[in-house]
Amino acid sequence: MSFLHDYVYYIGAFGLVAVGLLILLVKRNLIKLIIGLSILDTGVNMLLISVGYITGGTAPIFSRPGLSEGGMVDPVPQALVLTAIVIGVAILALALGLAVRFYKNCGTLDLRTAKELKW
Amino acid sequence: MVSPVVLLAVPLGLALCVPLVGMASRKAAGFVPVAASLFNLVVSVGLLPDALEEPIVANLGGFAPPFAITLFAGPVGVLLSALVALAGLAVSLYALSYISEGPTIRYHTLYTLLLVGATGVVLTGDVFNLFVFFEILCISSYALVAYVGDRAGTEASIKYLIQGALGSALLLIGIGLLYGLFGTLNMADIAARMGSVDPGPVFVAMVLIITGLGVEAAIFPLNAWLPDAHSSAPSSISAMLSGIAIEVGLYAVVRMVFTVFGASSMLMFLVFMGFLTLLVGELCAFAQSNIKRMLAYSSIGQMGLIVFALALATVHSVTGGLFQLVSHTLSKALLFLAVGYMVYRSGSMEISSLEGMGRRMPLTSFAFTVGAFSLVGLPPFIGFPSKFLIVRSALAEQGVLLQVLVGLLLAATVVEGAYFLRVIQTVYFKKGRQQEARREAPAVALFSMFVFVVLIVVIGVYPNLISNALESGASELLERADYVRSVLG
Repeated sequence: MSFLHDYVYYIGAFGLVAVGLLILLVKRNLIKLIIGLSILDTGVNMLLISVGYITGGTAPIFSRPGLSEGGMVDPVPQALVLTAIVIGVAILALALGLAVRFYKNCGTLDLRTAKELKW
Repeated sequence: MVSPVVLLAVPLGLALCVPLVGMASRKAAGFVPVAASLFNLVVSVGLLPDALEEPIVANLGGFAPPFAITLFAGPVGVLLSALVALAGLAVSLYALSYISEGPTIRYHTLYTLLLVGATGVVLTGDVFNLFVFFEILCISSYALVAYVGDRAGTEASIKYLIQGALGSALLLIGIGLLYGLFGTLNMADIAARMGSVDPGPVFVAMVLIITGLGVEAAIFPLNAWLPDAHSSAPSSISAMLSGIAIEVGLYAVVRMVFTVFGASSMLMFLVFMGFLTLLVGELCAFAQSNIKRMLAYSSIGQMGLIVFALALATVHSVTGGLFQLVSHTLSKALLFLAVGYMVYRSGSMEISSLEGMGRRMPLTSFAFTVGAFSLVGLPPFIGFPSKFLIVRSALAEQGVLLQVLVGLLLAATVVEGAYFLRVIQTVYFKKGRQQEARREAPAVALFSMFVFVVLIVVIGVYPNLISNALESGASELLERADYVRSVLG
C-alpha cells in the first residue's frame, strides 16, 4: 500500500493522460475529441504539480517562522502550470471556434464525414 | 551592441499594436508585420558578426544563469532568426496584395505572433520557454490555416490542431520529467548534469520530447497533418509554414538531441527516420495532381533530407544540413508564393489547369521555375551546393549501409526532378485550351518573389557567402561543452 500512498498523484496524473489519449483514439465526435484534449491537458498539469509537491508542504515564504526546509513545496512547477493552463485555454477556445465553423460547413460534428482531404 | 531580447520584445509589442493601427486605417495594419520583420532582419544581421565570434547570452530579469530564462544567440540562433525575419519580410510584403479579403487585421496580428514564436524558439536556452514559444508558433498557425474559413481549411486546421496539441502535451510531460530529474529548466544546466542521473528515465523524457517536437518538424510517421494544412492554408501562410514553421520544429529537435541530451545513440535511428521521411515525401509528391499538395509532400521529403544530414553528426554533414535548411526555406517559400497567384488566376489547384501559364504570367512562371530547379538541386541555384555538401559528407563516412542510403537518396532526387519538370512542362509547353490575356501578379508580390530569386541565384553562385557562418553553426550544435561553458561561465 505504501507504493500507492507515495505515488498516488503520479498514478492519477498518468491515469488522466491515458483517459485523454483513449478518447482521442476512439471517439469520432469533434466535441468529444476536444473534451479528450482537455482531460489530457489536466493530466499533464497534475503531473507537473506532483513533481514539485511534498505531502503536507506549504508555500516557501522564507519570512514565515517555523518553516523547515522539508516543509516547502517547490514553486517552479506551479508557475509552469499557470502558463500551461493559459496555453491550454487558448487551444481549447480555438478548437471550439473551429468546431463551430466545422458544424456550419458540414452540418455535423462527426469527423467521419470530413473526407475532403486525404493522402 | 543590442541585446537579443529586442528580437522578441519589439515584434511582440508590434503584434499587439496591429488592431490599434487597424482602427486608424485597415490598409496600414498590413505594414506592421513588414516593420516588425524588417526590424528583426536588421538587428539579426547586425548581431551576426558578434555571435560568430562568441555566442551572446542574455539572462532575463537579471538573475544568474541557471535561475534566469536564458536567451542564447549563437551562430545557429542568429542565422535562423535572420532567416525567419527575411522570409517573414518577403511574405508580409506579398500579403499586402494577396490578403485583401476577410478579417485582415486578425491575419496580420497572428502572422506577427507566428514570427515572434519562431524567433523565440530559435533563440531560447530554456526548455519551458521553448515550449511557450513553440505554442505561440503553433496556435497562430492553427488559426491561420483556417483563415479562409472554407470546408477544406477548417478540416485541415482541426487535424493540425488535434495532432499538434497532442504533440505539445507529450512535450510538456517530457519537460516535467526533466524538471523532476534535474531540478532545472536551463538547457545548459541540464546538459552539464546529464551524466549524473539514471539514463533510463532520461531516455523516457527524451522520447517524449522528440515525439512531441517531431509532430511540428513533420518527421515520418508524425506528419499526417502537413499535406492538408499546407495545401489548404492561404498561399502566403503555406509559404511560412513550409519555409519557417517546420524548420523551426526541426531545429528544436536537433537542439534537444545534440545539446541537451547529447544522445549519440539516437543518431542512427534519426538517420533512418530522415531517410524514410524523404522517401515517403518524394513518392507521395510524385503521385499528386494538386499542385499545393505536391509542394507540401515535397516539403516532407526535404525535411527528411535535412534530418538525414543533421543526424550524421559530422561538421561537414551538419553544415550541409543547415545549408539545405536555408535553401529549402528560400526555395519553398518562393514556390508557394508563385503558385499562390498562379492558382488565383487559374481558379483551380489542379496541375493541368496551369497549362499556358508561361504565356499568361511569364515572370511568376519564371520565379516558379527558379524555385523548382533550386529544390531539385541544379546549378547555379542554392540547392546545388547544399545537396552537394550533404552527399559528399555522407560518402566520406565509412560503411556500406550509408553508401546504399546515399544511392537511394539520389534516386529520390530524380523522382523529385521528375515531378517538378512535369509541372514546368505543363506551365510552358502545353497550350491552354482558351487563350487568355496576359495578366501578371501585382508588382509588390512580384517584388517579394524576386527577392527570393536573387538570393537563390547569388548564394548558389557564391556559396561562401554563408558557408562560414553555417560551419560555425555546425560546430556550435556539435560542441556541447562549449555551449555549457558560454551559458554557465
